[in-house]
Amino acid sequence: MGEIFNVLLLQNTLRTATPVVLAALGCLLTQHVNITNIGIEGMMLIGSFFAVLGSYLFSSWAAGLAFAMGAGLLLGLMYYVLVIRFQSDEFIIGVALNIFAGGLTVFLLRTLFGVRGSFSGPGIDPLPQIVLPGLEAVPVLGDLLSGNTLLVYVSWLLVPLLWAFIYRTPAGFHLRAAGEYPDALTACGKSPDRMKCLASVGCGILSALAGAHLSLGYLLMFSENMSASRGYVAFACVIFGRGNPPLVFLAALLFGFISALGLRMQRYVPSDITAMAPYAVTVVMMAVTVLWGRRRKASKGC
Amino acid sequence: MTGFWQALRALARLKPNQRLTRDYLASLALAVLLAFAVGAAVMLLCGHDPLASYAALFDGALGRPRAIGNTLAKTVTLCLTGLAMSLAAKAGVFNVGGEGQLYLGAMAAAVVGARLDASAWVVTLASLAAAMLAGGLYAFLPGVMKVRWKVDEVITTIMLNSVAIYFCSYLANGPLKTAERGIATGTDSILPQAAFSSLIPLSNLTTAVFYAAAAALVIWYLMSRSRVGFEMKLTGENDRFARYGGISTGRLMLWAMVMSGAVCGLVGMLEIFGLHKRFLTTVSSEFYFDGMLVAMIMRYQPLGVILMSFFFAALDIGGKSMELSAGVSSELILIVQSIIIFFMAAEGGVRKALGERALRRAGRRRA
Amino acid sequence: MSEATEIIRFERVSKQYPGVLANDCVSLSVRQGEVFALVGENGAGKSTLMNLLYGLQAPTSGEIFIKGRKTGPQHSPQAAMRMGVSMVHQHFKLVPGFTVAQNVLLGMEPRRGPFYDQRRAQERVRELSEEYGLKVNPSDVARDLSVGLQQRVEILKALRTGADVLVLDEPTAVLTPQETEELFEVIRRVVARRGMTVILITHKLPEVMRVSDRVGVMRRGRLERVLETAQTSEREIASLMVGREVLFDELRTAQPAGETVLEVSSLRAYNDRMLPALRGVSLSVRAGEIVGVCGVEGNGQTELAECVAGMRAPSGGQVRLSGRDVTGQSPRAIRRAGLSYIPEDRMSMGMDAKASVWENLLLGKQRDGAFCLGGIHLRRGRVRRYAKELSRAYDIRLSDVDEPAGALSGGNMQKVVVAREFSFDSPALLVCQPTRGVDIGATEFIHRHILQKRNQGCAVLLISADLDELFRLSDRLVTLFEGEVTGCFDAGSISREEIGYYMTGNREVKAP
Repeated sequence: MGEIFNVLLLQNTLRTATPVVLAALGCLLTQHVNITNIGIEGMMLIGSFFAVLGSYLFSSWAAGLAFAMGAGLLLGLMYYVLVIRFQSDEFIIGVALNIFAGGLTVFLLRTLFGVRGSFSGPGIDPLPQIVLPGLEAVPVLGDLLSGNTLLVYVSWLLVPLLWAFIYRTPAGFHLRAAGEYPDALTACGKSPDRMKCLASVGCGILSALAGAHLSLGYLLMFSENMSASRGYVAFACVIFGRGNPPLVFLAALLFGFISALGLRMQRYVPSDITAMAPYAVTVVMMAVTVLWGRRRKASKGC
Repeated sequence: MTGFWQALRALARLKPNQRLTRDYLASLALAVLLAFAVGAAVMLLCGHDPLASYAALFDGALGRPRAIGNTLAKTVTLCLTGLAMSLAAKAGVFNVGGEGQLYLGAMAAAVVGARLDASAWVVTLASLAAAMLAGGLYAFLPGVMKVRWKVDEVITTIMLNSVAIYFCSYLANGPLKTAERGIATGTDSILPQAAFSSLIPLSNLTTAVFYAAAAALVIWYLMSRSRVGFEMKLTGENDRFARYGGISTGRLMLWAMVMSGAVCGLVGMLEIFGLHKRFLTTVSSEFYFDGMLVAMIMRYQPLGVILMSFFFAALDIGGKSMELSAGVSSELILIVQSIIIFFMAAEGGVRKALGERALRRAGRRRA
Repeated sequence: MSEATEIIRFERVSKQYPGVLANDCVSLSVRQGEVFALVGENGAGKSTLMNLLYGLQAPTSGEIFIKGRKTGPQHSPQAAMRMGVSMVHQHFKLVPGFTVAQNVLLGMEPRRGPFYDQRRAQERVRELSEEYGLKVNPSDVARDLSVGLQQRVEILKALRTGADVLVLDEPTAVLTPQETEELFEVIRRVVARRGMTVILITHKLPEVMRVSDRVGVMRRGRLERVLETAQTSEREIASLMVGREVLFDELRTAQPAGETVLEVSSLRAYNDRMLPALRGVSLSVRAGEIVGVCGVEGNGQTELAECVAGMRAPSGGQVRLSGRDVTGQSPRAIRRAGLSYIPEDRMSMGMDAKASVWENLLLGKQRDGAFCLGGIHLRRGRVRRYAKELSRAYDIRLSDVDEPAGALSGGNMQKVVVAREFSFDSPALLVCQPTRGVDIGATEFIHRHILQKRNQGCAVLLISADLDELFRLSDRLVTLFEGEVTGCFDAGSISREEIGYYMTGNREVKAP
């Protein structure tokens, strides 16, 4: 058992969880303005492609991040225009966005790099690993908390920041009001649409960063459909966490833990079964969350 | 926190759109033209000749009997998956899990087709039944969760896709892996006589098309001419009203979901018996999502779905040959298709915005 | 009130909705510092006129002046607020999950650095609440407040920028008598102390007499007359409001009521917010009689109807229909047992606005042999023909039965619902708010059909917020207050004033 449950497992947990954390933080923004955004899957995929592109072209991870964020910003804007301005069905747009992302990334992969399937190369500059001096020497904690890539720390920082933004600032109030009761916001001269725009753009950028972490964080490559339903998992995490950043973070960590555990169980269990686990667990957790919520509501009423 | 439950409810709010009006079809034609224009622009940017490429696309889709056969075979898949989506959506439930249901149907068909020791006809029909049963049962699970517990079906069905695909992959690589030499993954091959026979030589078109046509006819009748279709329509458009009027909406939604899953299972079976002759993990590459989009664009109207599938299939098959002859990556077609969808999803809003602008301008002129 | 300056003026303002002329050339001026009551029946155009003033909608023609300044074509609630006009809507615009302070100061929150300054926000709300004498607790969550308190928050929100004109749209519709009294106190105070102008939209005449300086009476989109309250009477206003007395009495045949058809005993239920809405309601309806349920809206009427029809599961008690216990059964089973139901919420429950008229008329009969072959095939030709006949019989004005029902006018929509429900020939009828938002012609038509049903021996339970309607149609009246029956009367034996007394929580003293 010691082979499975060790520090490496926790390290892998953090590693697998980070893209989901970032995407889920983006998704919770849109969720708070009452947009059900399942397009984060596609936003992630496009983000990871452009991260590789930027990093490769300029041999710099910063350019990679800038490219990814730029693409995310554009996607967020596009999503806003389609869903809010033109009142399209958010679900259709989400699905179409995911298909669009699949087509676009593969198309660009072939036209720009002339390869099929995946692209990797020495020219891609990885995200820097940050060593926290002092902490590094501490036995277990050092392994866990130090030496991670940049975006891991960014995601950790974002959790309290977003929490404070949503629950402690006027802008955050307006964001929530735009979702909970837009008429109230309109009645006092604020535009709910502006908050929705902010949320979709934020979501686009964060999802793209999640993608960037996938392609520049550890693997240093882009491959077709490399987001692999993580966007949907992120969405599920937002539901479990009820949009509260710390809770969403925990849900994403749980997902990461199950994935990492599955990976390390491969010696004992067929890999397909372990790969299946996180998704099956998500379904079960969906049911549990809803049933739980209902019971709480019922007990409150009596 | 209530914002959250509201957002969840927003998912349930997704209701099928109105009928296909003449205006809508005109917009569709415009959207297709615009999407092709975008495609042409991209080709120009990449240094290809758009006209030659589109000519190659057309030729690749409909130029030769073989091409037509492939296009029709693809139409079958798209049309049935699209109809499966429409069936559920008509009753107000969203089955995004068709991909998984398709895999399980294919697996069930492959197993029965390989193991059942009987005459060819019996094997074919038994596999067909097994596939539909597998797909239907797999859709029953999220359906029951939705109807009984109000667990949102969109996310559960998406998750169940991955579960089914990995599960089938496990079976095909593990316990059910064939002992045949030269086959890396895949189950035993099915009884050869039970497979569908080819209609146009060298093309993918097989007698499966007749089964598909029969299924499409039944679905069309069910949705647009039958009592159940009427009840489904009202449930999908306004479930409170339907329940008030004495329709058992929960049961209807559940059945719609199960039927939708069964059709997806059927598609899996048709793929196995028509094309692969054994279960392969590559039995589908997101076929269901393509069908879903066709269904959405055509507002879940069966006839529209059937026609649009042909168009999308032609694009798909033509795109592959365009890649070979004109060198344009076939993924461009995916981009063109998704642009059509973006346009069509925004259609109502754009129309409204244009109308308002015209009104404002008229008002200003009057003033 | 002498030397009063004009603060608001409407000049020949009209508002045309598709099919309805909601405001017809209204000219009106409101003086500074007065309480102006705008009265009229449902659909007379009072709310529309105020929505135009507040910039929620634009008039089709005519001009509106606020403090002498003309409102532009870009008039909006923000612009109105900047010009000093605030409006408290009938439906509150509060964010349910936010605190009172967050709601009151939404959009102008005090900050400390980037953060919301909770302490200052609460202080500010406390100041406001003391200034106007509207007591609230700034840290309460809006969702948990009573309706009266929510309204108070809403008024504070309207006053926070120091408005000069306050428009209150049907403010007392959902209030208890005490809350109403407190509201009037507030109105008097802001007018006296701060020289504000209050425009009160209502249809309750006693309130008009008590609180207003002048009254404008609206009927069918027109402003009939403006009167000094002190020089008029309730009777005069009422006759202006109604225009003419509609006589139905010739339709009404005296008939002995038959056996009990619908019986509700000690019914209990929760509302959507999981609060008790029905606390043991008992009533019965016999064949050939109309029992009217009166009460201020939100006292359990909706839940009562939904429980009887099977749309809501009761938490206790019993519903019997023609002797059978149907408590908690599905709407379908209850329909089969013999209930037809006209719901109060036409658009979300009574019809499918996207579906065609024939589809709306068919619902409930789609399994009938006449319309359905072998339970499978829908005979569309026959259904269409039937729908045409039915539309003719019920005078539904439409171009084609394939037209979506949502495209019809309000009155015609309601006739579709009535036609469908009345075509079942059920022994029991549950009728809720049958003429809300319906024009007078259609109202008469619907009333006549309800009476006809009664004369044919139908047991009718009528739930309405319109006292006139209840008095016109009912044989017996039941008053509902906070989910309990407070009295039961023969319609001829009680006056409106007395009914009002029971509707507000006083109980009938029964001899043991």
